[in-house]
Amino acid sequence: MTSAGVDTDEFRAAVRSWCRSSVPADWRSAQAGVPEAEYVAFQKWWFAELRSAGYAVPHWPARWGGGMSLAEQVVLYSELAAHDAPRLVLAFVAIHHAAATLLAAGTDEQRARHLPAILQGEIWVQGFSEPEAGSDLASLRTTAVRDGDRYIVNGQKLWASGATHADWCLLLARTSPDAPKRRGISYFLLDMRSPGLDVRPIKNAVGESHFCEIFLQDVAIPAGCLVGEENAGWQVAQATLGAERGLTMLELAERLGNAGFRWLVASCARLGVLGSPLVADRLAEFETEIAGLRALCRGLVERHEAGRAGPAEASMVKLYYSELLQRLMDFGTQIEGLPGMEVLRKPASSGWESGAWMLDFIGSWEWTIPGGTSEIQRTIIAERGLGLPREPA
Amino acid sequence: MAAGSPDVGDDLASVRDELRAVARDLLRKTPPATPADWALFASAGWLGLEVPAFLDGADATFAEVAVIAQELGRAAAAGPYLGAIVLGVGALRELPPCAGRDTLLRQAANGDALGVAVLAEGSADGAVGAGPAGERGRTETAAPFRLERAADGWRLHGHAAFVPDAARATRLLVLAREGADGEPVIVDIDPRASGLRVAPQPVLDETRSFALVTADGAEVAEGSVWRFAADPRAAAARLLDRAAVAVACDSLGLAEAMLDATVAYARVREQFGRPIGSFQAVKHACADMLVAVAVSRELVSAAVAALASGAPDAGVAASMAKAYACGAALDVAGKAMQLHGGIGYTWESGIHVYLKRAALNRALFGSPAAHRQRLAARYR
Repeated sequence: MTSAGVDTDEFRAAVRSWCRSSVPADWRSAQAGVPEAEYVAFQKWWFAELRSAGYAVPHWPARWGGGMSLAEQVVLYSELAAHDAPRLVLAFVAIHHAAATLLAAGTDEQRARHLPAILQGEIWVQGFSEPEAGSDLASLRTTAVRDGDRYIVNGQKLWASGATHADWCLLLARTSPDAPKRRGISYFLLDMRSPGLDVRPIKNAVGESHFCEIFLQDVAIPAGCLVGEENAGWQVAQATLGAERGLTMLELAERLGNAGFRWLVASCARLGVLGSPLVADRLAEFETEIAGLRALCRGLVERHEAGRAGPAEASMVKLYYSELLQRLMDFGTQIEGLPGMEVLRKPASSGWESGAWMLDFIGSWEWTIPGGTSEIQRTIIAERGLGLPREPA
Repeated sequence: MAAGSPDVGDDLASVRDELRAVARDLLRKTPPATPADWALFASAGWLGLEVPAFLDGADATFAEVAVIAQELGRAAAAGPYLGAIVLGVGALRELPPCAGRDTLLRQAANGDALGVAVLAEGSADGAVGAGPAGERGRTETAAPFRLERAADGWRLHGHAAFVPDAARATRLLVLAREGADGEPVIVDIDPRASGLRVAPQPVLDETRSFALVTADGAEVAEGSVWRFAADPRAAAARLLDRAAVAVACDSLGLAEAMLDATVAYARVREQFGRPIGSFQAVKHACADMLVAVAVSRELVSAAVAALASGAPDAGVAASMAKAYACGAALDVAGKAMQLHGGIGYTWESGIHVYLKRAALNRALFGSPAAHRQRLAARYR
C-alpha cells in the first residue's frame, strides 16, 4: 500500500457516507424476478449513480475519468461490497475489457470515440469463443475479408454475455486463413447495430439467459475499427486480457471478503450452527483463504502498475478465486440443506452473491469455465509461470 | 515503527532482498541436517538482527529475522535459530533493559551463548497466542511453569515438552506465572540448576532438536525473575505469535524449495520419450503447488509485517499464516515426493527430510485446527 493511511481513512468515510445515502435498501427484493427490461434499466441507473459520484471507473487513467490509487480502489470496492451495493453486471466488459483494449492498443480516435461513450453507458460484449473454438481459442473460424475501406465478416460467436443489450462488440476474426493460426487473427470493434447480425440468447444452468450466440452474415466493419495491426489480433488480446483477467478480480475479491464471507457467517448464525467446531473450522479456513486471495489481487495490481507482474500471475488469481468461490458456495449449500433448494429465483443484478446458496453454487461454474477454464489456467501457470515444457502438438 | 512507514519501505525491502540473497547463497553450501555453523551465522549478522546496536546488534526488526527463518526452511537447516534467536532474543526484547538482559542479548548477537526461551509445549494445541478478548485459558496454557515464594527467593515448578533447542541451551528463559494465576514473567535460569531437568526428545525430523524441560522446585534467585516491560499477558501472546509466524516462514521456505526441485526435475526427467513436465497431470500438480506457495507467501508477509509493526490485529494475521502456510507446505512436499517417483521415496533424494520437517512444522506451536479455532472465536 502506498497511500498514507489518513487520506484513505477520509476517503473511506466519504464512500461510506455516499453508500448510505445512495444504495437503495430494498433493491434485492425489488429486483427479484423482474423482466429483462427492468433489470437493464436498473443497471444503467446504478452505473449513472456511480459515475456522478466518480466511482464508476476508478481504475481508468485520470484523463478519462478514473485515476484512483490502488489503495483507494480497494477501499471503494470493499465499502461497496460491505454496503451491499448492486454489481455492475451489464457494464463489466465495457469498463474492464473494452477499456483496457482501447487504452493499450486503440488509436487516439478510437479512444476518443468510445471511452467517454462507455462512461455514458455504452454496453459492450466480448465476441471471442466459437462453437469449435473454446479452450483452443486460436482455432477460431469467423472470417473477416478486406473489401476496400471495410471488412466483411462471416461466422458465429458463442458465450457472448449480455449480447442482447450490447451496443458494441470486441470481435476476434480470421483475416489470414493461410497463416499459422495465432498469426492470422485480427481484433475489431463491431457496432452491434450493423446489418447481418443475429443475436440469440442461450439459457444457462441457473435458468437465466445472459449469454448468447451471435451469428454474423456479411457484416461490414469499417477499416477504422481495426485494433492494432491486421493479423496482430491475438497479441492484442493476450496483452490486454491477460492482465485484465487479474484486475477485474480486485473488485470480486473484495466482494468475496465483504459480502460473501459475511453472509456465510450470517447464514451459519441464522441456522444455529456457528457453535459447531466443524463449521467454525471451515469458516476460519475460508476467511484465511479470502485474506490470501485479497493480498494476491492487490499484489498483482501493484506489480501490474509497476510493469513487473509475472506472466502467469493473472491466471493464478483467476484460478484461485474461482475455485475458492465454488468451495464457499458449496459450503453455503451444505449448511442451508434442503430449504436452500426451495429458492427458485435470485434477484437480478446480484451476480453470485445473492445469498441464495444453491443458485449461487450452480452459478459458480460461470467462474471456473469462462475466461479460460481452470484446466487452461493450470496449463498457463505451469508453462508461463514455471517454464515447464509445452505439450507436443 | 520503521517497517510500517511507506517512506522507508522500499529501502528496507531492498535490505531484506540482499539479506535473503546472502542467506540463500551461504546456506546452499550446507547439506540439510548438518550442524549449523553458528560462528558463521554470527559473523553474517543473523543472530543479532533484533539486538540494539549498542549491544553489538543490527537494530533491525522481526521482518529481517523472518527472512532468515524462511531461508533456513528452504535449506532445511539445523541449528538453534528458532529457540535462541526467534524466541530467546524475542523474549529478552519484551523485557526492560537490565544488566542481565543486556549481557544475554550481547552474547546472543555474538554467538557466545544460547539463551533459549521455554514457552508452552510446542505440540500442544493450547500453544496459540491469546486473542484480543474473551479467550480464556490460552495465556495460562502458554505459561506452564509457576513460581512459588521461598525464604531465600523463588522455586520453579512445571514442565514443557518439545521445547525447541533447549537441549543445547546455556541459559533458559522460562515463561512462568507467579503463583497459581499471577501475571506471566520470564525466569532466567541455568539449565544445570538443581531441580531442573532438560531431557532430549529425539524426533523423526533430524533437522530439529527438542527437549522436555521439567522444573521440580528449581531454585531461582530474586534477581532472575524478570518482569515484562508492558502488559505481560499481551507480551506472552506476542511471543507465541512470533513462534507461530517463524514456523510459518520456515514452512514457506521449505515449500519453495520443494516446488523448485520438482519443477527442475520435471523438466529433465523423460518418460514416454518426453519430459514428464509436458504431461498435464504433472503440469497441473505443479501449478497447484505454485498457487499454494503464492497464497502462503501473501499470508506470511502480512503476518510478519503485522508483528514487526506491532499491529493490534497481528494475532489474527499470525494464525492465518500459521494455519495456511504449514498446511500448504505439507501438501507441496507430499506432491514433490509423488512427482519425483521412486527416486523421491529414497533416503538419498532428501525429499523425506522436507516432508518430515513440514509435518513437524504443522504440529509445532499450534495445529492449523487450533489456529482456526482462535480465528473462529471472533465470529460469535
